[in-house]
Amino acid sequence: MGFEKFGRFGYVSQTKIAPLVSYLEKNQIMATRCKECGTLYFPPRADCPKCRGSEIAWVPLEGKGKLVTFTEVYFAPPAFQDSTPYLLGLAELAGGMRVFAPISNEIDRKDLKPGLELVLRPKHAGEGVFYQLESP
Amino acid sequence: MSGLHDVIAVVGVQKMTELSSGEIQELMGRAGDVMWESPFGTSMPAYYAMYANAHMAKYGTTEEDMALVTVKNRKYGAKNSQAMFQKPVTTEEVLNSRPVAKPLKLYDCCANADGAACLIVASSERARKITDKPVWIAGLGLASSPMSLAGRRGPFTSFEVTKNAARSAYEMARVKPTDVDVAEVHDSFSITEILNYEDLGFARPGKGTKLLKTNETELGGKIPVNIDGGLISKGHPVGATGASQLTSLVHQLRREAGDVQIDGARIGLAQNIGGIGMYSAVSILRA
Repeated sequence: MGFEKFGRFGYVSQTKIAPLVSYLEKNQIMATRCKECGTLYFPPRADCPKCRGSEIAWVPLEGKGKLVTFTEVYFAPPAFQDSTPYLLGLAELAGGMRVFAPISNEIDRKDLKPGLELVLRPKHAGEGVFYQLESP
Repeated sequence: MSGLHDVIAVVGVQKMTELSSGEIQELMGRAGDVMWESPFGTSMPAYYAMYANAHMAKYGTTEEDMALVTVKNRKYGAKNSQAMFQKPVTTEEVLNSRPVAKPLKLYDCCANADGAACLIVASSERARKITDKPVWIAGLGLASSPMSLAGRRGPFTSFEVTKNAARSAYEMARVKPTDVDVAEVHDSFSITEILNYEDLGFARPGKGTKLLKTNETELGGKIPVNIDGGLISKGHPVGATGASQLTSLVHQLRREAGDVQIDGARIGLAQNIGGIGMYSAVSILRA
């Protein structure tokens, strides 16, 4: 339990990587590393698809990345309509991992283009906690 | 046919309009990654808008270019008595329609709809007995890709999954993109049709918009696409769309397409995307 807090509106409550939420609440962004083959995963994974290992270690993530693509949502699902318009993005982090995340509303829309340097930071909103892409 | 049956009915049906657009947005958005994407308020238009922005940034594609898809498809929708929208629209109307997920606006999007379509598939022996105008399945391709956007590589300017499905179908049918006389492609959004031109090999990467500007995907062009109005005119009752696309191809290949009949159409291609490019199906039919 506990993972339902993840995001503006959570759909998943039970997962082995629920500690992500506790770390975010402490303003930490943590990835998982497979203890057997060393592969780093973000978003975190409890089981390694490469070597099928299930022993993981939580490690801090620096969070620097570059924007791959983005959109600004005006017509949203019911649970998100109060937040429109809002930005969503896909960024590539150092090491090639990609993450789908909201982009901070503070960002200047004119700057948005593939390649823009951003950083992933924890974000608290109401009951929820998640991460978002912000200006470095 | 595997031999288990001589004749089968393939029925596609979907009823969507009893839910509100917002509710459908949510349910359809959850076709994506429910754990790592849905909690941020995703929707189908939002996902495809991300492909659109990437294509615009890399190739200079504009909102006016995308509007040409809607203008073309709505023009043919006006000739289709079964289309949900049977009224043409202008480029200005598309550009001035309200934003849904930028750069996509209302008229860049297909509509939620109710609909059904049925295909009768028979063994070759039986087909020859029950119809004078059988249409043959020449090639099929089906491919899948990572469910989450974060699992996909590349710049988001094309769907690898469509390229892979198309390769299988072209190989099986032993035809090239230039051999195709008529195509039905997945125009869930205006940008999707442009990506599909490129992924199916009708245009080189980044050159899909050129086909629109030179009217090559219109009736009378090199490769007419979605001249039944496409999903943008017919609506997209998800479970019925694949069969509906094939129905339009069958009409063309049997010379039963009325006002939009292409003279001498012998090879037809239908392509359909599932989810946000999780899978793509390409079918090639021959008269």
